[in-house]
This record gives sequence, C-alpha cells and structure tokens, in this order.
Amino acid sequence: MPDVVLKVHQLSKQFRSGHDRVQVVDGLSFELKTEGSLAVIGRSGSGKSTLLNLLCGLEPADSGNISVADQNFNAKNEAGGRDVGARWAALRKRSIGVVFQEANLMPAMTLIENVQLRASLAGQPAGEEMYWLEQLGVGAEAHRFPDQVSGGQRQRAALAMVFAMHPAIILADEPTGSLDRQTADDVANRLFEVQRDSGCALLLATHDQALAGRCDHCLDLGEGA
Amino acid sequence: MIVKAMTSHYRRHPLQLLALALMIVVATMLWTGVSVLTGQARESLAVSEEAVAAREAVVRVDGQPVSVTDFVTLRRAGICVAPWLETARGNPARRVIGIDPLAMACFDAPPAGGNAGELAGEPFVDISEVAGDSDRSESPGQLSLLISPGTGALPEAYQRKDFRLGPATGELADSFLLNLDALSLLVLFITGLLVRSVYHLGLAQRRSSFALLERFGVTKAQIQRLLAVELTLLTLICVVPGVWFGQALANRLGQGFGLALDSLFDLSLYAGDDTPVPWQAAIVMMALVLGVCLVDRLLPQRPAHEGKSSWLAIAPGWVCVSMAAAGLTMVIWASSLVWVFAGTALVFAGVGGLMPGVLARCAEAMARRQTQSPRSPLARWRYRELAVMFRNLALPVVALQFAMATVLAVQALVTTFEETFEQWLAQRLSAELYVEVPEGASAETGAGALAKLDGLGDWHRVRRGKAELLENTGAGDALTTDLMALSPVTPLVTDWALLASVDEPWAALSAGGVMVNEQLARRQGLALGQRLRIEVGGEIREVLVVAIYADYGRPSAELLVHGEWLPEDFTPSFQSFSINPGERSVEDIARRLKSDWQLADLVIRDNASIQALASQVFQQTFLLTRAISVLTLVLASLSLLVMGWVFFSTRSWYFQLLSVWGVPPGAVRRQLRGLALLLTSGVTLVALPLGLWLTWTLVSRINPLAFGWSLPMAVYPGFWLELTLLMAAIGLVIAWLIGRSLAGQASLRPGASLTGGGER
Repeated sequence: MPDVVLKVHQLSKQFRSGHDRVQVVDGLSFELKTEGSLAVIGRSGSGKSTLLNLLCGLEPADSGNISVADQNFNAKNEAGGRDVGARWAALRKRSIGVVFQEANLMPAMTLIENVQLRASLAGQPAGEEMYWLEQLGVGAEAHRFPDQVSGGQRQRAALAMVFAMHPAIILADEPTGSLDRQTADDVANRLFEVQRDSGCALLLATHDQALAGRCDHCLDLGEGA
Repeated sequence: MIVKAMTSHYRRHPLQLLALALMIVVATMLWTGVSVLTGQARESLAVSEEAVAAREAVVRVDGQPVSVTDFVTLRRAGICVAPWLETARGNPARRVIGIDPLAMACFDAPPAGGNAGELAGEPFVDISEVAGDSDRSESPGQLSLLISPGTGALPEAYQRKDFRLGPATGELADSFLLNLDALSLLVLFITGLLVRSVYHLGLAQRRSSFALLERFGVTKAQIQRLLAVELTLLTLICVVPGVWFGQALANRLGQGFGLALDSLFDLSLYAGDDTPVPWQAAIVMMALVLGVCLVDRLLPQRPAHEGKSSWLAIAPGWVCVSMAAAGLTMVIWASSLVWVFAGTALVFAGVGGLMPGVLARCAEAMARRQTQSPRSPLARWRYRELAVMFRNLALPVVALQFAMATVLAVQALVTTFEETFEQWLAQRLSAELYVEVPEGASAETGAGALAKLDGLGDWHRVRRGKAELLENTGAGDALTTDLMALSPVTPLVTDWALLASVDEPWAALSAGGVMVNEQLARRQGLALGQRLRIEVGGEIREVLVVAIYADYGRPSAELLVHGEWLPEDFTPSFQSFSINPGERSVEDIARRLKSDWQLADLVIRDNASIQALASQVFQQTFLLTRAISVLTLVLASLSLLVMGWVFFSTRSWYFQLLSVWGVPPGAVRRQLRGLALLLTSGVTLVALPLGLWLTWTLVSRINPLAFGWSLPMAVYPGFWLELTLLMAAIGLVIAWLIGRSLAGQASLRPGASLTGGGER
C-alpha cells in the first residue's frame, strides 16, 4: 500500500450557469495519506460535493491531476478517453467507498442484504457482513428493511456497507448532516473508530466544525465560487 | 404563481402530459365509437323488430296477389285494412316500407311505423314515395294489406293469414345487444383503471412539490382544487378530439356493422346515417376520467399505507379466491347471459385482487433463490425491485392484465371465427358450380338432365322450404323451421365436420334420419338419437336426430333431410343444384340444362366467387370487435409506457447509486432493461391464462348464448408471441427513456421524495 492514497494537483472545475461560467474548484492541490483523514469544509456552494464527485470520477475535471489508490487520472490527457469511465468505475467498485447524507441503501433489501450486495460488487467474499453491521452497532437490525429503522441506523448501515468493501479511501459527503446532534456524534464515533481499525483513508465533506476537528487535517474551501 | 408552481412538473416533463392527454383521447375515441355503434344497433334492432313483428294480413282465396282494387273493395265493405308496400332502395339496398298512416287511423293499436297521419321514420315512409320507387324500379315491390285484429268476417274472396317479414330473432337480438353492452362496459372499466393508474403515478412524482407548497402556506384544499381544475381542463380539451375521432371510427365501421347485423339477424341497419354528435358519450368519459382520478379526494383519508390503500392491496387472498371460484362456477353452469357476465366480472375481480400479490411473491421467491454469486451480485436486488414494482403498481398491473387478456381473447375469437367460417363455407360450397332452378323450370327435369350427362362429377339437388317441428308430446305450439333437403348424398357433403353424430350419419340420413343445426339443437335442447315429430307438406312424420351440424352466422333453426324423404306434396320455396363438372365443361352443362329446360339463357355461378362474397360479408361481422381490440391494445401499450416511464423515474436514484458503487454505465443500462422487460413480460405472462379462459368463455359460453352457435376453442401462440414482443419493445423503450434521463442528469443528489427510505 503506498504511503499516499490520494494526491490532487492543480485540480479545476467550472460549471456553466446560463451564459456565465462559474469556477467551482480552482487549481486545488493536496495529498491524503493512507489511514489519514481529511475534512473538507466550506459554506454551502463552496464546491465540497463537487470536489468529492471529481475525486471519485462521477464528474470529469476540467484540468489537473488526480492520483487515487495507485491510479492516475490527468484531466487534459484523458478528456474524452473511452476507458476513463471504466477505470473510475472499477476504482469505485473496489477501492473508493462513497457515503452520502442520505439514501445510501437499496430500499427493497434488508440492511444485511445491502451490505452483502456492496461487498460482493467489490469482490469481497461473503461472510463478513454481520461483523461490519455489529461494528457499526446495527447488528440487531440486520434483517430489517431501511424503512423499518431510524435515520441514524440507516447511516450506520451505509457505513457498514463501505467498510465491508475494504476500500482504500472513503469519501463521505455530510454523512451526519441529516441526523440530530446525539445521533450524529454516535455515528461519527463509530466512523472514526472503524476507520482507524480498518486502516483506510477518510475524506469528509462537512460544514460541521466539530466533526471536521476530529480529522487529522482540514481543507477549507472558504466561500468557494 | 401557485398555478405556475403546480404546472411546473408538466413544463419539465411535457411528454408525460402529452401521453396522458393521448390516453384520454384514445379512451374517448374507443368509448365514443363503441357507444355510437351500440346505440345504432339498439335502434336498428328495435325498428327491425317492429318491422318484422307478427301481424295479420288479408290474402285472396284464389292465391293471386292483393292489389289496390282489393284494398278499395275491403274498405268499402267496412273492413279496417291498411296497405303495406315493401321495396328496396339505395346501394347497398335497404328495405323500405311504405305505409299510409291515415289508413291506419281505424286500427285500435297502430301496427307499425306510424299512426293517424304521422310517420315514425325510416324504414317506414309514405306509401306514395314507395309507389313512385316501385314504378321506376324493375322489382315492383310487394303489396300486403294489414288487417286490424278483431275485425269481423271477411268477404268470401278473402281470408286471413299470419303476416311476418323475417325470422323472429327473439332473445338472440337481446343477447347480441347485451354482448355489445358488456364489451362496452369492459372497455370503460379497463379505460378507467388505465387512466387512473397513469394519472396517479404522475401525481406521485409531484408529491414533493405539493409538500413544498404546503410548507409555503398553500392549503391542501387549494392544491386539491387546482388539481381538479387542471384535470377538468385537460379532460375537456382531450374529450373533444376523442369524440370526433370516435364518431369517425363509428362511421368507418358503420357499413361493416350494418352488414354484420344483416348477416346475423337478417335485419338492416336503419340508424346508420346522420348520427348526432354523441355528447352523451363525451359526458360519460368526462365523468369517468374525473371520477376515477379524483375519487380519493372525495373519500375520507384513511390511515392506510400510502400508495397501497387500494382494495387490490388490502382484499384478503381468500376473498379473492372465493370470488374467482364463484365466478368460474357461474360461468360454467349459468344458463343466462347476464349470469355468465356476472361470473366473468367476479373472476376478473378475484384475479385482479390476487395477481399483484402473487407476482410480488414470485419475484421475492426468485430473489431468495439468488445466492451471492460473484457473476451476478445484482440479481437479488433486481428481483426485489421487481417485487416492489408489482406491489406498488398493483392497479396498473391489473388494468394491463385485463386489457391484454381482453385483446388476446377477442383476437382468438375473431381469428377462430374467420378460420372456422372459411372452413365451413368451403365445405358448404365444395362443388365448383351452382345453378338456381329458374322460375317455371322443373327441378326434376334438371336432375334428369344431369343424371344423363356422362363424365359429370358429383352433384346434388337442394330443396328449401319450411317445416313445423311439433312437440314430442303431440300438443302445444309448433316451431316453424327452415328445411333443407339434399339428394343424392355424395362426397360433396360427406366430409362436412359435424358437431355431433351417430355412426355413419350420412347413411342414417339417407335411411330417413334428420340432421339439425346447432341453433335449433341449443334452443330446443335437442340431442342425438332424439325422436322428433315434424310436419312437412301436410304430413306428420317421426324422425331420429342423426347429427348436429354447425350453421354459422344466422339465427334460423334448420332441419336437414334427404330429398327422397320429402312427401310428394312438399312445395319448395327455392331449388338449386351444386355440381362438380368432372370431365364436362361448364358450357356442356349449361347447354344440356338450357335444352331440357327450354331456356334461352341460364346463369351458372362459380362457387368460388360466392365464397369470396360471403367471406367478405362475414369478415365484417367482427370488424367492430377487432377495432375495439386494437384500440384497447393501443391504450394498454400507451399506459404501460407511461406507467413504466413514470415509475422508473421515481426509482432512478437507485440506478445512479449503482453507478456510484462502480457498476459500469453499460451494466446499469442492462439492469434497467432487465427490470423493464421483467415487468412487462410479467404482466403479459399473467394475462395469458386469463386471456385463454376469457377465450373459452367467449366461444363456448357467451357466443352460443348471444348468437346461438358456438365456435371451437383454438389458441394462437403466434399472437401471444406478437403481444409479448410488443410488450418487450415497450419495456425496452422505457429502459431507453430512463437510461437517457440518467445520462443527462447533472446532479448526483437523491430526490426529495426518497429521504424517508420507505419506497419499498
């Protein structure tokens, strides 16, 4: 495992808004070490979510370089390249775990089935699902459907899903944003505990200063565009 | 501003609005077409019934036809008689009856068509008009003199006679109308289900916007009112072209429908012209669309699980099974058409209540069978999603199942009819040539001439007339039936497909047995081996039923006997020869017959052309049902497309989630396609057995009760395949539409309606 799991160099992204162009990410560079954690903070609209989408290949960058889990993506060289999408997809499947603020689970499947699905997509052998659910404190709810558990339990199950795939890095976009303070703290505790134990890196987009303070490093996008 | 916010959904999804509008237009067109034609049929049958109702007429004792002089003589003698002059008019020819309403003033009850100076309208017209037509026409028309019932003794030169212009259609005509009404109701029911399904799915997509408006202070009542106005406007706009198209459809089918009436009941379509705009049909459709879409607003809100509050989801399985079982029993055993329809409705209701749950359970079972295979880790998810769809789309799934089952059944009925009729016609017209015995010529002489022609192929002589079927007890009313006598029995008839027969039926016929047509057998409950008492040519004879034969397309009862069996005094009303020329040419045969009959000219018809003409007429019989079936299919396809599209849109986030999890876009599209195909093929699959059952009900139960004859049960896997392919194509279009919208989606945020995690 390399020492640096994520390396971003001169990353830029702009969107078209009517006739105007809005620069959302402008020449951003940073590194994240294996087992390290980085909080990306900033006001709403500062580009936190866009950055996460760029880092997992869900949106193409305009310029710059992203190196993640040994895979290098140069925006200029690979613009329009046929296999870029497939390379990003393969990376997301096995090495990048993505957690959103909500709706991370398939509603027609139980929590354990969701974890099984995510792990099997990542090529992980079956059998660890219950372990991860218990690690995140929702083992008792394993056979319930998402609509039968609370919002906090759903987020814990979502985290169990990404840990079950043994990712190199977790990209979490406001993972506790829709939860009350106490539940949010509880979910965050579990997240950092398991992240440390599993040895993966964590990149967290949040506007919650307390949550950001628990990360090793902090990247402030400020007012953004 | 609220209106703008309310309509923003359709501004964003204009195709959804267009599809809903198109559905209302097609539904209105279908309903209007059926209503207009059913109305015409009802009116025509009523008029025709009046025209052919039994009355009394005066005839001359010397057998000469009555004339105007006889009318004058009788009126001068104080007898209440009225003239009745019948002729044909127009192309195709329609029967027109000239009457004199003033002459009818002396009748206690008007015989038909008008009274005391007033005319009821076509086919009844003023006698002076018809007399003018008769003078110009080659066929002068037939004058009868109706007599008022209860009139005293007639002068010596005259006598009374029953007066009737056509066969009594009786219950058959009523059944025919009931059949049309039932088909119309089924169409209306399916239409209602489909429109409601599509509208409510669209509403589900707009739920988050409504919630937002409520948070902004707009009351629920305001939103409901605006929705009602929106739907009313849309329906108003769509119903107008729907009515117009429906009327055009009815006019297009009208002529064929008239021929159908003509061939089924020997009745003309009198009411086909100048149909007023069917506003009644438009009002019914408006009420239906508004009713099925807005009924929930009028009912008190129930705390049931949202989206699953329909009776389809809450009716217990045992209730549905009981309904279906009771319906099946009624359909099998009921002897009245009304009960058969009631049974069919029960079966539909029971199956409709059961099917979404059964389909969802099947999908769940499939999901459970999927192990975590690295080759197909998504299979379990796919089947779980399918189960969700079947549960949440209960009403549309049932509506589609009904629509497709109806289409399957009607198609099978029509195709079976066409094939059976063609086959039957080919048997009846197996001889190559057909010669009518001309007026004044002797059929005996003709038969003798044919017998002397060496090298002539098979031929037989047909004599037609009337017979009285007496009750076996010897008392009670006799039934007048058509009588057909054949002789000799040759291979031209021996390969007829009989519905039931004793061993060697044609030998039994030659030995004095009788064959009865299906209509007569059903109406009188006649069976093989039964002994009948028949009065023919003034003689009463006892005969044995040796076969029951199919006789499609008419209501009349008929007896078939061997020509040798006829008494000498039998007077045929019509005679003909069916001939296979064999080694002889048509000219040879014509020359011989002309010579023996001493005629200058003789028409020998080619049976193939007669067969073609008859087929053409009978194909029109089911033109209406085929048109209804095609339009129902269009409606069902359209609603399946809209339903699938809208529902998949509400699930599009989960397909995006698959992309986030690293499933390549091609694989996501494959999942989409797989799910859409499973959904559409699942609906098709459950429609097949229901369609098969409905086919059986139509050919074996409803058809005999409605028309007097049954059809063989046949299945058409080719059409199943066509229907499955059509549904598969719709599934692929849905997948393509959703795939396109997924690819074009800029934002990777779950929709506002997905936050609860309760879309299971």
